[in-house]
Amino acid sequence: MARTRNSSARRLFANIRYHGFGIVVGLLFLAPLVWSVLVSFKPSVEARQPPLPPWPVDGFSVQSYDNLAQYGSGIWTYTGNSLMVSAATVVASVIVSLFAGYGFSRFRFPFKNALFVLIISTVMIPFQSILTPLFLILTKLGLQNTLTGIVLVYVTLQLPFSIFMMRNAFDAVPKEIEDAARVDGASVLRVLYRIMLPLVLPGVVTVAIFAFLASWNEFLAALILLTDQNKYTLPVLMAAVRSGQFGTIDWGAVQSGVTLMMAPCLALFLLLQRYYIRGLTAGAVK
Amino acid sequence: MTVTSPEKAKIELRDVRKSFGAVNIIHGLDLSIEGGEFVVFVGPSGCGKSTLLRMIAGLEDVTSGDIFIAGRDVTELDPAKRGIAMVFQSYALYPHMSVRENLAFGLEMAKTPAEEIERQVQGAAQILKIGPLLERRPGQLSGGQRQRVAIGRAIVRKPLAFLFDEPLSNLDAELRVSMRIEIARLHRELGNTMIYVTHDQTEAMTLADRIVVLRDGRIEQVGTPREVYEDPSNLFVAGFIGSPRMNIVDAIYAGDGRIKIADTVMALGQNFAGVAAGDGIKLGIRPEHLNVAQSSSTALRAKVDFAEYLGSTRYLYCYLPSGETITVEQRDGRDLSSGEEIFLRCDPERLRLFSTGGDRLRSANTAGMPTA
Ligand SMILES: Nc1ncnc2c1ncn2[C@@H]1O[C@H](COP(=O)(O)OP(=O)(O)OP(=O)(O)O)[C@@H](O)[C@H]1O
Ligand SMILES: [Mg+2]
Repeated sequence: MARTRNSSARRLFANIRYHGFGIVVGLLFLAPLVWSVLVSFKPSVEARQPPLPPWPVDGFSVQSYDNLAQYGSGIWTYTGNSLMVSAATVVASVIVSLFAGYGFSRFRFPFKNALFVLIISTVMIPFQSILTPLFLILTKLGLQNTLTGIVLVYVTLQLPFSIFMMRNAFDAVPKEIEDAARVDGASVLRVLYRIMLPLVLPGVVTVAIFAFLASWNEFLAALILLTDQNKYTLPVLMAAVRSGQFGTIDWGAVQSGVTLMMAPCLALFLLLQRYYIRGLTAGAVK
Repeated sequence: MTVTSPEKAKIELRDVRKSFGAVNIIHGLDLSIEGGEFVVFVGPSGCGKSTLLRMIAGLEDVTSGDIFIAGRDVTELDPAKRGIAMVFQSYALYPHMSVRENLAFGLEMAKTPAEEIERQVQGAAQILKIGPLLERRPGQLSGGQRQRVAIGRAIVRKPLAFLFDEPLSNLDAELRVSMRIEIARLHRELGNTMIYVTHDQTEAMTLADRIVVLRDGRIEQVGTPREVYEDPSNLFVAGFIGSPRMNIVDAIYAGDGRIKIADTVMALGQNFAGVAAGDGIKLGIRPEHLNVAQSSSTALRAKVDFAEYLGSTRYLYCYLPSGETITVEQRDGRDLSSGEEIFLRCDPERLRLFSTGGDRLRSANTAGMPTA
């Protein structure tokens, strides 16, 4: 009797410790996000004050969002640019890496491994060092200062990881499943679409999330390759907001921009995390 | 209702070869399989059984040679157009589809009308007793159920021939026996040509109309289970078929139908062709043909190394004076313990003689007669 009470008390304690630790870590990670969101809802004047307490004392206000919306060509232009660039990067990365990963996983061709290593090794080149050549190439192609140009750059930067990811995802699908589909009469494309795609979906989602986050948040290339103000993406706009107008920095606007920028990232992550975690661990077991 | 195939397809391989890069895996193989026949491929690991089966299925290119199914040259044809269905060792079910969708996929690809698909699926589900599982995913099935679904997926396509690549090797022993019987029943009911690859001696012996013994991409022997077991055409087949293995003992042909093992002389009662007195030979004796006997000058002296009790029978692992090991199946008599000296006798009829090169030596009067 005493024994069981003792052990259940111990289990309770372990539970408390486990969840307590989780809560503390969770709070640590959430604090800056919550702080940004709260400040973004302070009236402009209050947002400029020392940050304690972090929540709005003079009532909630969307003044900062209004201020942000007035910037440059208007916030919707920039949000639209960012969304377009990110969506295009995601779609292009997924399509290219899907086929490339399938090819690397399933076909035999000369120099396959050398080519794969070559693609992966491009990760080691810091992309800042090739910005100038990239700029020149895009200019030659007439794509400098266009969203298409920046999408091409992002896709290129995303591809090594994406192809690696998709090759692993395809490698994890037993070859016999594909053979069975071929015996069942499915063509190569149909095997890819009906059989393989659903099985590598976690990999696709992972590739998509990474492509989205990278292109949504990317700053340097966008700053350098986009010179026209109304082509700016959100990170470039944010830098402009952050550096202030007429000598003052509107912290409320900065925080509302931060909130605006992180909203889709969080939403996407929460929506897709189930697949995302499976994608990263694919092939780890069995 | 039953699902029966329209015709019994003959399968023919003519000088079929396969190489992966510079490595030759299948070396010019000829084989003719009758319509409706159940043929089992056996052979050591890596001998090319799967490769051969996949070539027949069309999943692997043929380096040279021709494959005919039902009189049609299918060498260059897509797997789906060959009229075959294949069951894989790992089942290879589509994990994201329900059992029903798994069964229907092939028919869907063939643009079969929906009500016909439904009829086929129901028919297969009935034969394999998987009706209640139709809405489940493969992940929610047991190994045996998955294997049934895999077989069902093969049945619904109404193939001319079924190809099985070690379909039961992932199942536990008990399930293997019951699935084996089901496959035999399936063959009886459908009557299709079936080719079946296995490592399992019992599966091979019980299922096969004919067994094809392969080694290193070559056919060593083709014959009924009885033929390959009782009349192996070479030392390899003799040693490969049967469990425990046939004992192979060095001996000398003493001429006049007599052989000499160590210091024991045995009369075989018949002459052998292709061997001269004084030649070394290999003697094959199955463990069940050896009897523990009284001391006698015509019996083999052996020493028991250890004894295994299996309930219905006992195996004695013994040493001959030459140091060779010999396995004896002992069905009656007293228990023997390790270290005991025993004498072994064998009906000369049961002995199989091989040249030192491994070829079968046959009786001079019937030489070459009972071959496969
Ligand atoms: N894609 C391939 N590339 C190169 N060599 C291969 C390939 N597939 C098979 N082989 C080789 O061909 C030989 C025969 O392989 P196969 O799978 O047919 O053997 P198996 O008789 O089915 O063996 P097991 O009983 O172990 O299944 C092996 O030596 C194997 O290494
Ligand atoms: Mg095999």
